[in-house]
Amino acid sequence: MNCTPQELMAVFLSRELKDGEHLQVGVALPVPEAAVRLAHIMHGPNMELIFLGTRMNVHHLESLPLPAFGWDRRVVRWAESYSDRGHRFDQVKDWNKRVFFIGGIQVDPRGNTNLIGIGENHERLKFRGPGSVGTPTLSTHVGRYYIVLNQHSARTLVEKCDFISSVGWNSGGADARKKLGIPGGGPKYCVTPLCVMDFTEEEKTMRLKSLHPGVTREEVELNTGFSLVIPNSVPTTTPPTEEELDVLRTRVDKTGILRGT
Amino acid sequence: MIARISHGMTLAFGEPAPMGFIRQIIRNKIRDLTVIASGMSLDMLIAGGCVKKVISYYAGGGFGVAVAPSFRRACESGELDVWECEEGILTTGLEAAGKALPYLPWRGGVGTSLPKINKDLKLIEDPIEGQVLLAVPAIKPDIAFLHAAESDAYGNVQHYEGPGWLDLFLYRAAKATIVQVEKVVSNEDVRANPWATTIAGADGIVRMPYGAHPFYSRGYYVQDTSFLRSYIDVAKDQGEQLEDFLTRYFFSPTSHEEYLEEVGIKRLLSLYEY
Repeated sequence: MNCTPQELMAVFLSRELKDGEHLQVGVALPVPEAAVRLAHIMHGPNMELIFLGTRMNVHHLESLPLPAFGWDRRVVRWAESYSDRGHRFDQVKDWNKRVFFIGGIQVDPRGNTNLIGIGENHERLKFRGPGSVGTPTLSTHVGRYYIVLNQHSARTLVEKCDFISSVGWNSGGADARKKLGIPGGGPKYCVTPLCVMDFTEEEKTMRLKSLHPGVTREEVELNTGFSLVIPNSVPTTTPPTEEELDVLRTRVDKTGILRGT
Repeated sequence: MIARISHGMTLAFGEPAPMGFIRQIIRNKIRDLTVIASGMSLDMLIAGGCVKKVISYYAGGGFGVAVAPSFRRACESGELDVWECEEGILTTGLEAAGKALPYLPWRGGVGTSLPKINKDLKLIEDPIEGQVLLAVPAIKPDIAFLHAAESDAYGNVQHYEGPGWLDLFLYRAAKATIVQVEKVVSNEDVRANPWATTIAGADGIVRMPYGAHPFYSRGYYVQDTSFLRSYIDVAKDQGEQLEDFLTRYFFSPTSHEEYLEEVGIKRLLSLYEY
């Protein structure tokens, strides 16, 4: 393959994003960040980027240095507004236009995710996670979201999350979210360094959608903590074009975070 | 300001964190607090031994550390109570307090583990449409501590270019609000632009230039990234190095000015350009 798995993940996600969409990226998610910025340059001049509470359109820029912190116009100099000025949750009715990305310390086959911690007892966790941030509300309301994992391991992809901070397809079924009264479209794909997974139409359980170049289905099965639905024929994730990779490396990820440098 | 605080109170901290107040709280060894705070400033309060319970939505670390280190240690050892929530639930509970209601409903969190691990969050059936929602009880801080650019002597506070996302929720919910400001200005300055007044009549203001250091202050200085990185570096191991850091910056300086002297004028003056 002509690129790293993280670069492939970013390119795959960028092709998913449509012009005009509102794309929200939270803290510590370098792959989605790169995906959104790549899509913005390649085919999304009318996209609205919402990075760490900073809303902007920066299609006109040759490249976009990431906002390193906080809401100060000297730092986030292309902001058009900041996080709805303290009313960030007052307009969730319109979040069906938004696309969101979520990580997790655990993910189950129904796309439920956990940022709270690992252990049986919440009062004394074996591993304490960072907390839910705003993901329960976002995953409830956004039009669709993508689960993006830095590692594909059986410790992360588990049969059952110890805690659920964002509900995906709950205990399964295409009507699972409707039954809970949750309006958003739910998780569409789970993207990892090994493969892309989607959810079966009826059961809403995770299914192998495509393998990244060079990855075998056995490798995926071995590193997944639950039994994944694997169709007879699994395509290879389409590698980046020369142009995508060039834009990614020279205009988006100039410092090489996705190249591991 | 410190005279108003007693052990066991519920204190809320705005964004950027009012670090001058936080340093005073740590220095004065205030104990058993319930705090509404997040990220690294929360971590410092925990490292300082002040916190019994945290109303927590996010405690990330940064600089290669996924979880704030002192928060993580205190949770895993079982010494910290966590009122598990998230941003939408937090602001809903604060709004309920501001509106003098026992609770307000919220949808984010329905279907998750939050109502199971936080028994104060109740699933209810709404009487209008019969939907299942979370009832979030009013969250009532005893004091909200905030950082802003300016205020006059009457507590007319003006955040430079507008408040951050959480400050006004905390102000409306808290029984009292005390604001540290970069600058105390005249009442005429405030009257020149009353639309810019974000908090009309804080209960107390404290003049504290560089008071948000090592965080940023809109209109003044930017974040001191290398200082924050050095905190994470020493906090990672939760050992002697962290103790030394706390002694140097939190316990030894007897005033805000002494803290600034310890940080040094060179470092402070380097924070105006980005």
